[in-house]
Amino acid sequence: MAEEMLYEKTLQQYLSDELKLVNAHLPRQRKSLSALLDEEYPHVKCSDGGVQSFKKKELAYLATLLNEEECQRLMLPMLIEVLSGQGESIVLSSVGVEEKVISHILEMPLVRTERGLRIYRPQLSALRQVLRTTTQYVFLAVLGVPRSEDMVKRPVSLFGEERVKV
Amino acid sequence: MPQLIRVRPTKIELIRLKRRRALAKRVQKIVKDRLAILTMEFLQVARENVVKKRSLIEEFVRAYRSQIVAAGYHGYIALEKEFAASEADLRIATGSRNVAGVRMPVFELKEDKPLTEFRGKAGVLVGVSLIDTSSAVDQAAESFRKCLEIIIEMAELQRNLELLGMEIKRAKRVSNALEYVVIPNLQVTIKYLVMKFEERAREEKSRLKRVKVLLQ
Repeated sequence: MAEEMLYEKTLQQYLSDELKLVNAHLPRQRKSLSALLDEEYPHVKCSDGGVQSFKKKELAYLATLLNEEECQRLMLPMLIEVLSGQGESIVLSSVGVEEKVISHILEMPLVRTERGLRIYRPQLSALRQVLRTTTQYVFLAVLGVPRSEDMVKRPVSLFGEERVKV
Repeated sequence: MPQLIRVRPTKIELIRLKRRRALAKRVQKIVKDRLAILTMEFLQVARENVVKKRSLIEEFVRAYRSQIVAAGYHGYIALEKEFAASEADLRIATGSRNVAGVRMPVFELKEDKPLTEFRGKAGVLVGVSLIDTSSAVDQAAESFRKCLEIIIEMAELQRNLELLGMEIKRAKRVSNALEYVVIPNLQVTIKYLVMKFEERAREEKSRLKRVKVLLQ
């Protein structure tokens, strides 16, 4: 009986940890494209203490798509919210620059929802092929933890100074 | 076949089990989403790996062809002398990125001093005399530089492929364990407890009825 209880407890702990693991890589603070272009080794720090590096080639590509002002407004990495059980995702976009970049890459206009840009799985695949280091997944919908609406109201941690206006 | 979890048949245990089932279902959903994302990334990396491998072979063919032409034209000794002057240190910037909980390496070739310069249509090997060498040397140099870039990209892709494969295997095992063992066991136990409580309530009711009859 005691052994079984221990097993159950361990299992419970494991399941809770599994939930924490999937979002451990989110950036503590995002940086603008222009700031990253100036860095020798462009990177941001993640909430788990790790580092997310950006490829200079990708940053240079993004810079070719945007003007100087837009480069300052585009915060990286772009966050892609994976909607549970649906074949679609949402790119959390606060300033609209993301829309310009992504619609250029996908070569089609995008559906804008109140939370951001709605993209579908095949589009996500195409997007990730081009922007591999400058985009990141967020798993929000399933957890007992807050949804993106709640997260934007929280101070600094996830989105830094700029926040998604809902 | 789902098995009963040995718990005390109390209401508090039933509540606990229900909570645990809700958590397990949530985790299952997220694991499935994660698995879908990882599989998508894996296929993408695999596809890109194939494309890069093909282009690497093509580039190597081009490079060796140019080198053979150059060697035939200048001779090996002269060519080696020219190449010795063009030696350069290579620097690779390494970093990491995270895809749905999988930490993967990022490699990028850093050229402080470019190996080749872009002059006209083809790259020209830096440090090589333009007067003493032919365009075949430049072509070979440019092709080998491209090969180097592709090799570094392929190293990254190959490692990503391995890491993603391992994580997919693990996530699949977790997903299957939840789907076929954990959740069914919890459901069976919850059902058993609910039935037990109903049975107890029925027993209680009949006992009260019996007592009522005896009292009358």
